[in-house]
Amino acid sequence: MIDLIEVFDRAEVGPLISETDYYMKRYVPKLAEVIARHKVKWDKQTIINTDDDLTDRVFQAAIDLLAEAGAYCPETNRVMQFTRDEILLACSQAPRSATFGEDRERKTMYGRRPDTTGDRPWVHVGGGIYTTDEQIFMDTVEKMASFNIVDSVSVPSILHLRGKDSRVRSPQEILAACKTVRLAREGIRRSGRSGLPIINGISAASQPASMFAASYPDFGLRPSDGFLIDFLSEMVVGYEALQKVAFYNSISANIGSTSTPLFGGYAGGAEGVAVTATCYMIMGNLIFRGTYHYNAPLHSKLHLSSTKPLIWAIAMSNAAIGRNMGYPMVNLPYLGGGSGTRQYHYEMACYLLAIVTSGGNIFSGHPAMSVQSDSLVPDDHKFHAEMGLAAAKLTRAEAEPLAQKLFPLFGDKLKDPDKGMTFQEVYDARTKRIVNSEYQRAMDDVRGDLAGMGLEVPVS
Amino acid sequence: MGNEAMYEQLKQAIVDQDADAVLEAVNEALAEGIDPRDVINKGLLPGLNVIGEQFESEDIFLPELMQAALAFQAAMTVLEPAIKEAGGADEKKGTIVIGTVKGDLHSIGKNILKLLFETSGFEVHDLGIDVDLFKFIDKANEVNADIIAISALLTTTLIGQRDVIDALKDQGTRDKYKVMVGGGATTQEWAETIGADGWSGSAYDAVVKATELVS
Repeated sequence: MIDLIEVFDRAEVGPLISETDYYMKRYVPKLAEVIARHKVKWDKQTIINTDDDLTDRVFQAAIDLLAEAGAYCPETNRVMQFTRDEILLACSQAPRSATFGEDRERKTMYGRRPDTTGDRPWVHVGGGIYTTDEQIFMDTVEKMASFNIVDSVSVPSILHLRGKDSRVRSPQEILAACKTVRLAREGIRRSGRSGLPIINGISAASQPASMFAASYPDFGLRPSDGFLIDFLSEMVVGYEALQKVAFYNSISANIGSTSTPLFGGYAGGAEGVAVTATCYMIMGNLIFRGTYHYNAPLHSKLHLSSTKPLIWAIAMSNAAIGRNMGYPMVNLPYLGGGSGTRQYHYEMACYLLAIVTSGGNIFSGHPAMSVQSDSLVPDDHKFHAEMGLAAAKLTRAEAEPLAQKLFPLFGDKLKDPDKGMTFQEVYDARTKRIVNSEYQRAMDDVRGDLAGMGLEVPVS
Repeated sequence: MGNEAMYEQLKQAIVDQDADAVLEAVNEALAEGIDPRDVINKGLLPGLNVIGEQFESEDIFLPELMQAALAFQAAMTVLEPAIKEAGGADEKKGTIVIGTVKGDLHSIGKNILKLLFETSGFEVHDLGIDVDLFKFIDKANEVNADIIAISALLTTTLIGQRDVIDALKDQGTRDKYKVMVGGGATTQEWAETIGADGWSGSAYDAVVKATELVS
């Protein structure tokens, strides 16, 4: 694989082009071209694709897209170009596993193939949702880490200092990022699993300086945690991302390449999102040297990922990589329903059935499009991890009819989703036990509904 | 060809996102003596309305929207001089200054909204991403804007929207402009908290809101 300094150099030597021209003369027409060339088509009904030939064509389209459109570096206004041979070599040398955590909690996440029913996928829970209070932050992290089925956590964000929210690029942001890490590690220690990895490093840091500062070992993060580096939509590889790549590769840390292709944006519809999402995973390995990928396609207007075409596209990208590259993947769902609502649980069940059977690992999701503060309710995430483990016993063909039964239970609500609950509304502040009977009832009802459909979700 | 057929041809060329066909139809219409303002209002804008509806219903996406907007802009390079030559003034709904707040590098939502504003008859001045708050105000002053539209995707950059409003108050020019806020991390509650005049969760609704604000 070409070395990292050569990768950085591609941002300095590629063709000069304006951002608008990159989209209108390269990315958009090339995407349309590769979709047509490889006959990538969604039938507007299927949620979980089972056609492996189509899956492999999506992978080939993604290779062609990167080879022919390249990525865009806005700082240099240049296209980062890679030859087909360089891309194929990177795919063949991509990591098939990533090891996280310390001591007793040190475990390996694997890249999975579609229809693998005999393994136990990696179980990742949590999310970078904004938290208003330090105690709630600590309690949330401690409770998530205490679930014994959990292999890694994403921790929320806590941005305020002395009652004020920190601003992006401010010195307060650096302090908030450091505080987030310190509190998160302490919360994990309190769960009795101090080696458990945090793999959304670093939720409160938007700039490299904050990430690097909060990576100082005394604050509690280690190279065996996971550090997220984002592509900007679409196909943008900025200097800030490359700075993070330089640093985290230099300390041999796990890097989670992260992408959010936008449905309705430059990527277009389901086919474009499937191909672009797959392309980002290839780029994550080639450009960022990622050890795992955070796949987070999103609807540009609804700000969620549980529409039918999006679930199809996300599952498709997992299957394409699972069959052809083996890069470990988790997928970050943004759901419309608020915490504790039946809608949220149905959305997650449908999403996980599609993704886990298609080769993704398990990741619980952001409720309420992640805009409601304190909406990370740990027992939701445990329930969803249990759903994912149940889904892992199925093939795509077995999961598809279940997904089709589930979709009507939430599909019409996506434009006006049910409001949810906050941590404070669900738990007793002292004992941290569920005291909201409505919350418990909704979870029990959905578990019963899923069993009635043929998906038994045992309580762990 | 009668005027109605000409308007239909213009509309269809926009719906087809075919810049060459749009220019050809515009030149033909002008050659036949059709008022350039009618070319816009009875031909091009109805086509853009169809494009807007198709975008909203997810029959087309951002690339097609951009193609239609580019075709419209190409047509305007011919029509604007023709309107001036005829001694008329172009009829725009209003003038909008738009950008993403300082510290925020996200552009797609803002770009979509910009296109929808443009194709709905607004004059739009796009300041891009990572925009200094005083650039919003200076540009609004310079172009005598009706609306300042500020996008922010991140929780840590939301505060930049409030800063623009505060700076307008400090300068005593808050009432001169309507301020709209939007972006992934914003809510109606946030817009009310900072005293914005408008918020929308979608680009299409934002155009409706902007139209209300300038009417």
